[in-house]
Amino acid sequence: MAILESVMRWLADPAHWQGSDGIPTRLVEHLQLSGESVAIGALIALPIGIGLGHFGRFGNLAINISNVGRAVPSFGILVIAFQVFGLGDLPIVIALTALAIPPMVTNSYVALREVDPDVKDAARGMGYRRMAQLFRVELPLAVPLIMAGIRTSAVQVVATAALAALIAGGGLGRYIVDGLAQQDYTKEFAGALLVAVLALATEASLWGVQQLLVPRGIRLLKTPASRRATTFKTA
Amino acid sequence: MIRKTGSMWLTAALAVIVTAAAACGGTNSPGTTSKGTITVAGFNFPESSILAELYGQALAHDGYTVNYKLLLGTREVVAPAIKSGQIDLYPGYAATELEYYNSGAGEATGDATATTAKLNSHLQSLGLQALTPSAAVDQNAFAVTKATQAKYSLTKLSDLAPIGNQLVLGAGPECPTRPFCAPGLKTTYGITFKDFKALDTDGPLTRAAFKNGTIQVGLVFSSDADLNQLGLVVLQDDKHLENADNVVPIIRQTVATSEVTTVLNKVDAGLTTADLVVMNGQVELLHQDADAVAQAYLQQHNYFS
Repeated sequence: MAILESVMRWLADPAHWQGSDGIPTRLVEHLQLSGESVAIGALIALPIGIGLGHFGRFGNLAINISNVGRAVPSFGILVIAFQVFGLGDLPIVIALTALAIPPMVTNSYVALREVDPDVKDAARGMGYRRMAQLFRVELPLAVPLIMAGIRTSAVQVVATAALAALIAGGGLGRYIVDGLAQQDYTKEFAGALLVAVLALATEASLWGVQQLLVPRGIRLLKTPASRRATTFKTA
Repeated sequence: MIRKTGSMWLTAALAVIVTAAAACGGTNSPGTTSKGTITVAGFNFPESSILAELYGQALAHDGYTVNYKLLLGTREVVAPAIKSGQIDLYPGYAATELEYYNSGAGEATGDATATTAKLNSHLQSLGLQALTPSAAVDQNAFAVTKATQAKYSLTKLSDLAPIGNQLVLGAGPECPTRPFCAPGLKTTYGITFKDFKALDTDGPLTRAAFKNGTIQVGLVFSSDADLNQLGLVVLQDDKHLENADNVVPIIRQTVATSEVTTVLNKVDAGLTTADLVVMNGQVELLHQDADAVAQAYLQQHNYFS
């Protein structure tokens, strides 16, 4: 418990909340690295997963390839990317992007495959063209699973972004790596705690975003039948 | 020496080559009758092999039969071996030897002569002796690129004091808390840097940061093989912030006759840190054998004439 007390004192110290090594700076660096990686990962993964899920082809191939990606350790990619691209944020973003892609590909593929075929038939029957059907019927229905994939990626990326400090990058991992090198275990523990809290906060806030994005119809499906009935009446 | 682990892979790769080379070279004493047999050992990194070869070949030229035990291991292996008489001589580093034999009492200073004298006081009861320290030194040092050196006309660390606030220092993450690093630069030299970049201790991150200009001043080891190749210049530690890790032969007293001492002192007297950088480069970067590099050096500097 002594370590927890000293960690709390460390976190409460105003000196640790300012300057280029302060918590706000490191937090922004951490969020920036993670945000860039998840965004780039989403730009690559979502079109692949959604496209393959919509057309229902090559799904196994895509999932298997992206699962191989899960097996490659981020630290390995980080070191190789550092050798190739040198110092800077690029090797870190590459490693984290590679980590972010697989869950998003898998989830968005499955999400599109899971859309009720009857609903798709109905959409076609009502005269929706292919793209309209995808964007106005299938995607809204797939939102919960797609978002779950993004959430998984984001949490993994935020937790793993601490590795950046190993190749002289910024972020909250700095405290962990520096604390270890300086035998300042309070700092190290505080850094680990901050990363963990940030990962949980990411999970929570993306869950909130998901609630906003899910169409009301699906949200209603998950509420008890009795309440659902009254809601439909008043709606 | 913990600070040598960065080149462990190189050491491993060289181990086979150098051991093989040592087996065939070295015992070429010109005289017909040997003056006695001396066993020279070295630590498990290339520089130590080179130094051991320098000592060994100079002794062999003087008529001794020399056995080599190169790449024997760390100090934890080499020191017990000399205490028990399995080896007679190894190239040590004054401050690090002192802190080893005094069990880390913190007696080492930046003064090579005083540090060696202190070392001898610990060695005496063990039947060992440290000879005269060389000017060649393998210690923590601060380097700048040639461009930075030219821009501010830098030669020594004191020159950094007025311009430190324009430069970024790069070193291992422990630097801000270690007396030999950032705090020492501040108290001893009055240097405050614009920023500190946590990299590694003289590893690939530091090299990359020099290359892309992230840092202007970086922590290196003074005898690093690739300093010349990277265009880095070590700034002279004019106020002796760093402990004096000058090269110094550690020898068993029974072997340290005046003749042996004269031969070894002559080698050490001529050796400079710049020589070490060049020879380390030949072995580590050009993959030449330590014995050949040592031989070429001794020939060039007329030790064999």
